[in-house]
Amino acid sequence: MARFLTPRILGRALPVVACGVLFLVPMLTDDRYLFKVLTFVGLNVIVIAGLALLFGFAGQISLGHAAFVGIGAYTCGYLTAARGVPWIVAVIAGTVLAGVGGFLLAIPSLRLKGHYLAMATLGFNEIMSVLFVELRPVTGGNDGLRGIPFASIGAWKIDTPAGNYLLVWGVAVVVLLLTANIIRTRPGRAMRALHGSELGALASGVDTGRLKTEVFALSAGIAGLAGALYASSVGFISPSTFSLEFSVLLIAMVVIGGAGSLAGPVAACALLTLLPYADALIPGLSKELIALIQDWEADISGFVMILVLLFAPGGLAALGRRLGGTSARGAGGVQ
Amino acid sequence: MKGQLKALLATVLILALCTFSLAGCAKGDGGAAGSGTGDSQAKDPYIVGAVLSLTGSYAGLGAPEQNAIEMEVARINEAGGIKGHPLKVIYEDDGTDPAKAVAATARLIDQENVIAIIGATGTGQSMGMRTEVDRAALPQVSVAGGTVITSDFDPLVFQTPWSNSLVVPYTMAYLKKQGITKIAIVTDTGGFGADGQAVLKAQAPKAGITITTAQTFNPGDTDMTSQLTKVKGTDSQAVVMWTAGKEAAIVAKNMLQLGMKVPLYGSHGNARTEFVEGAGAAAEGFHFAAGKILVPESYGEGTPAYEVATDFVKRYTAAYGKAPDTFAGHAYDAVNLIASAMGRLDEGFTSEELRAEIEKTSGFVGIGGTFTFSATDHNGLSAGDLVMYRVENGNWIVEK
Repeated sequence: MARFLTPRILGRALPVVACGVLFLVPMLTDDRYLFKVLTFVGLNVIVIAGLALLFGFAGQISLGHAAFVGIGAYTCGYLTAARGVPWIVAVIAGTVLAGVGGFLLAIPSLRLKGHYLAMATLGFNEIMSVLFVELRPVTGGNDGLRGIPFASIGAWKIDTPAGNYLLVWGVAVVVLLLTANIIRTRPGRAMRALHGSELGALASGVDTGRLKTEVFALSAGIAGLAGALYASSVGFISPSTFSLEFSVLLIAMVVIGGAGSLAGPVAACALLTLLPYADALIPGLSKELIALIQDWEADISGFVMILVLLFAPGGLAALGRRLGGTSARGAGGVQ
Repeated sequence: MKGQLKALLATVLILALCTFSLAGCAKGDGGAAGSGTGDSQAKDPYIVGAVLSLTGSYAGLGAPEQNAIEMEVARINEAGGIKGHPLKVIYEDDGTDPAKAVAATARLIDQENVIAIIGATGTGQSMGMRTEVDRAALPQVSVAGGTVITSDFDPLVFQTPWSNSLVVPYTMAYLKKQGITKIAIVTDTGGFGADGQAVLKAQAPKAGITITTAQTFNPGDTDMTSQLTKVKGTDSQAVVMWTAGKEAAIVAKNMLQLGMKVPLYGSHGNARTEFVEGAGAAAEGFHFAAGKILVPESYGEGTPAYEVATDFVKRYTAAYGKAPDTFAGHAYDAVNLIASAMGRLDEGFTSEELRAEIEKTSGFVGIGGTFTFSATDHNGLSAGDLVMYRVENGNWIVEK
């Protein structure tokens, strides 16, 4: 193996290469379906970046992230479709509202840990699901909200699948850079300390209460941002999209990817999101096979999660590190 | 070293599992396809997408719809296709979920390059799909019965069932004839039920009928006792239920359990055997207005509509072992409206030309009735296409 391919350089170069490839895609193909599918991956990557921060680093579980995505999506959808608010304002509103929701949920949850926190956030997701159905004047009830306009800034409208793809992945890269930065710096170390031992973190001078609410609000806000982008790129939202099922899938992505890593969950997120859309990447797959994968999607991800927990508790990230032969030392922030 | 080995083992296991499950799936399929493309036809097929509810609350509607479409596609292709082009329909299941219907539509448009779309089974799903249909500008023929589908007019969207704005006045006129002037309404909050509630409320004053209470339930609810208890407390002379979901049977059963004596009226959304089977004894005496296909004699023997209907009933019964319901009829109409428009066009037509040609449909004798579309009417049916049914001993009887 060439000397310059040390894991450290590889770890630095890989994200750059990945970004390069991501933004080259529109020049290589004009397959509308592929763009839509990759846009979904990008949207989930944004949510996962926030959830990795909360769950993977700070050790605070949330089974309510789908609800935050929903808050962002409905806020953006309602404001742009029914109120004619400029897109960028609606996206900011969706992000902020979801962040405030996360903050409010975090306050009573400060006293909760482990299973109890999981139950509280799960309850929150269910409450929001009911609200999305029953708040008909705003959400359109079961039938959802349709006719949400595309993203636009002034007169410039992003109305092609390729444009939406670039928009979503552009935001995703920025979010990933920000989270990687947080992880590398003081708040990131405080989060890891909190994850390791709350008492220890307290003893080291970390205001754990404040840290928890902050990271919860940030993570929820990021989920809201993804939701707002989802609303404008798909143009239609309905309650079933933001159900508990989606929250569980998000947690599965972080678990399979590996706690304490950003690259692992992002990779797991890409794999699990692409699973039901395998026909976009692999031409010639039969429709029946795709239908079967879609039917068994939850079972496949559940099974993979069990296997990961049994055989590779560190997830994809730890697998990557171990196969790469590096020590587990470098916590693998961005790697 | 040991750790590395273990990690390697885990990766191999996961990969093996993935490929194994994929391979297993590949083996498991096979017979399910059957869209019946002709064998050695040289011309490219015309590809139409169909978004149907094969699972979820409307599964009882989507399944006969798919049956009817498969049967008609096979018939068209055996007869040489459309000017030599075989017709190919690609099915997607929306699980009675608007979000899935939208995703399925996107897949059909972008991945399968369909030229037209049939569906969805439900009103909410049909409306949700509109965003994708509008963005791609191709014709959609919905098989759902909400008025909103054609009253919230979109030049791209057609509808084959009788819309609520036809069925509600028809039902109210019948109620009035029975001397019923005070009704309680029970509707679902989904597209069809919400639409029905709006039309019922708008039409009641015109028909001289008072609505004593308007109760709703959500798709998926399993008990309507609380809503019906409120109904019981009013002096309603009849309960009018507007839903196409499987929850209809629960309403009928709960009424029986509560000992309610007032008659229950439904809509064309209940013209399904699942309702009669599901509600059992509670379905006895249930009234609903729907098209004539349930009792083909009501078309009038010897008329063109009667011929079309009996031929359809005969072939459907031979293929699937039971008589078609109204939903199979809506799908029959949808696929034939599209196919006949394609047949009138020159080869190499565009989506817009197909849309314009469907709009020119005039006097098309289908199962739901005789369709005449115009630039402002994309439903094309009239109240004359309806009859009132009563359930008696588990069978549908036409009320005189």
